[in-house]
Amino acid sequence: MAWAIAGISAAIGAVLGGSGLGYFISPAFAKREEEWVDLGSVKEFKANVPLKIDFTSRKRDAWATVEKRASAWVLTPNGRDFIAFDPKCTHLGCPYRWDDSQKKFLCPCHTAVFDVDGRVVSGPPPRPLDRFSTKVVGGRLMVRPSSGGEAAA
Amino acid sequence: MISAALAWTFERTGVDKIWEALFARHIPEAKGPVAWLYALGSATLFVFTVQAVTGTLLAMNYVPSPDHAYDSVRFIGSEVYFGRFIRGLHHWGASFMVVLVALHMMRVYFMASYKYPREATWLAGVGLFLLVIGFSFTGYLLPWDQKAYWATMVGANIAGQTPFVGSYVSKILIGGAEMGAATLSRFYALHVLVLPALTGGALVLHLFLVVWHGISEPPKRVEKGS
Amino acid sequence: MSDWHASYRERYKKLKEAGKPFFPHTVFKDALVAALLLAVLSWLAWHHGAALEDLADPTDTTYNPRPEWYFLFLFQALKFFPGHLEAVAAILLPGLGMGFLALLPFFDRGPERHPFDRPWLTLTGIGALAGFAGLTWAGYNSPLTNPIVEKDPVALEGQRIYRDLNCSYCHVLGGRGGKVGPNLDLALGTRDELWLTKHFRDPQSVTPGSTMPKLNLLDDEIHSLVAYLATLGGGPFTSEAPKLFAENCASCHMVKGKGGDMGPDLSLIGSAREKSFLRLYVSDPSKINPSSSMPGFAGQLTDAQIEDLSRYLASLR
Repeated sequence: MAWAIAGISAAIGAVLGGSGLGYFISPAFAKREEEWVDLGSVKEFKANVPLKIDFTSRKRDAWATVEKRASAWVLTPNGRDFIAFDPKCTHLGCPYRWDDSQKKFLCPCHTAVFDVDGRVVSGPPPRPLDRFSTKVVGGRLMVRPSSGGEAAA
Repeated sequence: MISAALAWTFERTGVDKIWEALFARHIPEAKGPVAWLYALGSATLFVFTVQAVTGTLLAMNYVPSPDHAYDSVRFIGSEVYFGRFIRGLHHWGASFMVVLVALHMMRVYFMASYKYPREATWLAGVGLFLLVIGFSFTGYLLPWDQKAYWATMVGANIAGQTPFVGSYVSKILIGGAEMGAATLSRFYALHVLVLPALTGGALVLHLFLVVWHGISEPPKRVEKGS
Repeated sequence: MSDWHASYRERYKKLKEAGKPFFPHTVFKDALVAALLLAVLSWLAWHHGAALEDLADPTDTTYNPRPEWYFLFLFQALKFFPGHLEAVAAILLPGLGMGFLALLPFFDRGPERHPFDRPWLTLTGIGALAGFAGLTWAGYNSPLTNPIVEKDPVALEGQRIYRDLNCSYCHVLGGRGGKVGPNLDLALGTRDELWLTKHFRDPQSVTPGSTMPKLNLLDDEIHSLVAYLATLGGGPFTSEAPKLFAENCASCHMVKGKGGDMGPDLSLIGSAREKSFLRLYVSDPSKINPSSSMPGFAGQLTDAQIEDLSRYLASLR
C-alpha cells in the first residue's frame, strides 16, 4: 500500500511538477523577434563616412509593446553595401564616437580605438564592434537592431 | 551506518516523533462508502496546494494594472509553455475549492462532527470557508476582462448595500469611488498576500486541532431508552 | 449538561485504538482521491482552459454581468427584493447564514450526532441546500437582457492601440477628440484598407506633407488599427445601400429628416451601434429585442444586401 501511495504521489508530482517546470523555464526557449527598422534612403549616406542614426523602434516586451530609442553607426564603402555598428563599445558598453580627424572610433571610457571598419586598433575591447543585420529594400536602408549585435557577424 | 545517521537525525530534529504523531496515529474505523467522505478535507488541502503552486507560477507573468493585466493574462495563455494549462488548473481549481469546502462542511454538519470536543476545529473551518470565498471574489477580478469587471462591480455594489456604512464599505473594498487601477492592485494584494497569510494561519490551527482531537468517528443512532 | 463529555472521551479513546493507523490506510484513500481530482482538473484545464473575455470596458452598455456560479444564488436572490429591502438579501441573509454556521456548536451541544437524531438541523441543512440549488438554477436560466454581440478581438486590440497612442489628441472619433488632424467620423469610409495600412506605416507616403508622425507601428498593430476603424465605419457600402434603405426602411424610419416615424430616427445610429449589431438586428429584430414590432429582413433581402445595408447604417453618425 505504501508503494501504491508512492506511485500515486509520483504521478501527481509528475503532472504538477512537469507542467510547472515547463512554465517556469519557458523563457529560456522564447524566440526573440527583432523588427527591421527603416533608417532612411540609401542616398543619405556618403561613402566611407560613418553616420550616426537615431531611431525609434516599437518592440514587443512580453505582454507589453514598448518604444525603444536606439541608434546605429552606419558605414557604406560604395553606397550599395552597408554596415551598421551597434553603438556600444564591445568592452563595457560605453557609447563611442567617430573622430573625423583621426578617422577612428574613440571610446570615452577606457580609451579604446576602433578602425573605420570596426577592428580594434588599441585598448581593451575583446572583439571588433558588433554589427546589426542590414538590407536594402526599395532604396531604403533597413537594420535589425539586436542587443549585443549579431554574434556571428 | 545508515541507522546511525538516522538516529542522529531523529535525535536532532525529532522527525520520528512528528511521524508518530501525524502518520502513525490511529483513526477510528469508518466502514463502507462513508469512509470516503472523510477524504474531503484532505482533498480540499490538496486542491489548495494546487492553487498555491499554480498561483505562484501565474504571478510570475501577471501585472495587476489595468494597462497590462489583460495582456499579461493573454500572454500567459498564448506564449508561455503550459501557460494555458496552468491557468486552466488555477481557474477550475477555484471552483473545486468552493465545491470541496462546501462538501466537507456538509459532511461535518450532517454528522455533527463539530460537537464536543471539536468546536474550535469547526470555527477555524468556518473561517477557512470565508477565506475561500474571499479568494474567489478577489481572484475573479484579476484577468480584467468584461466578466471580471462587471461581476466585481455587482459584488462591490452588493457590499454597498450594508446599512448605514454601505458607501464606506464599497469604497474601502474597491479602493476608491470608482473601480480602476487601485481596485486591481488592492484585490491582487489581498489575493496573493493577505488571504494566503490568513489561510496559512487558520489552516495550521485547523489541522493541528484535527490531529489533537482525533478524527471524529461516524455517528451512531442514539439507543432508545438510554 | 456536559455529563456525556467524559464518557465520550472514554469511548473515543477505545474507538481510536481499535482503528487503523493514518499511514498508510487513510493516506492511500486521500492519495487516490487527490489523483482523481487532479485528473479531472487536468482534463478541464487542458480541454476547456480558462475563458478570457474581451478587455474590461467600463463604457460598455451591452454587457450582461453574470457572477461566477457560486455567487449566482445571491445574484438571483436580489431579484426578489424591492429596492429598499435589498440589504436584507444582500447583507442580512448571508450574514445570518454565516452567523448560524459559526454559532452552530454552541447551541447544538447534546450528544446526538446521527442526522436522524437531529431532525431540525438536518432539515435546515437540506432546506438551505435546496434553496441554494434552486436559486442557482433559476439564476443560470434567467434570460440575458442584452443581446450577445460577438466582437472581433483584432478590432478590440485596435481600439486599445488607438487609446494607447493618444490618437484622440489630434483626431475626432465618436464626436470626441482634437482638431489637429482630420475628423475621423467624417473621413472614415472614404479610405480603403490598403490606403490605411500604407498611411499607418508612413503617413507621408500617402499624404505628402502630413504632420502626422510616423509611429513605427508593428505590422500586427497596423492590422488591428485598420480592423478597428473598419468596424466603426462598417466598411464600404455600395450605392445600392441607400436605395435599399429607401425601399425597405424609410416607411418607418427617419434619416436626416426624411422617412416615417413608426420606428426610431436612425440619423445617428452608427455612433450608437456597431455594424455587427445592426446586421443582426436587420436580419431578425426579435433575437435582440423580443418586443420589437419591426419585421426581420432575413428572408426578404439576401445576406449581401443586409451586409450592405448594415454598413450604410453604421456610417450614419
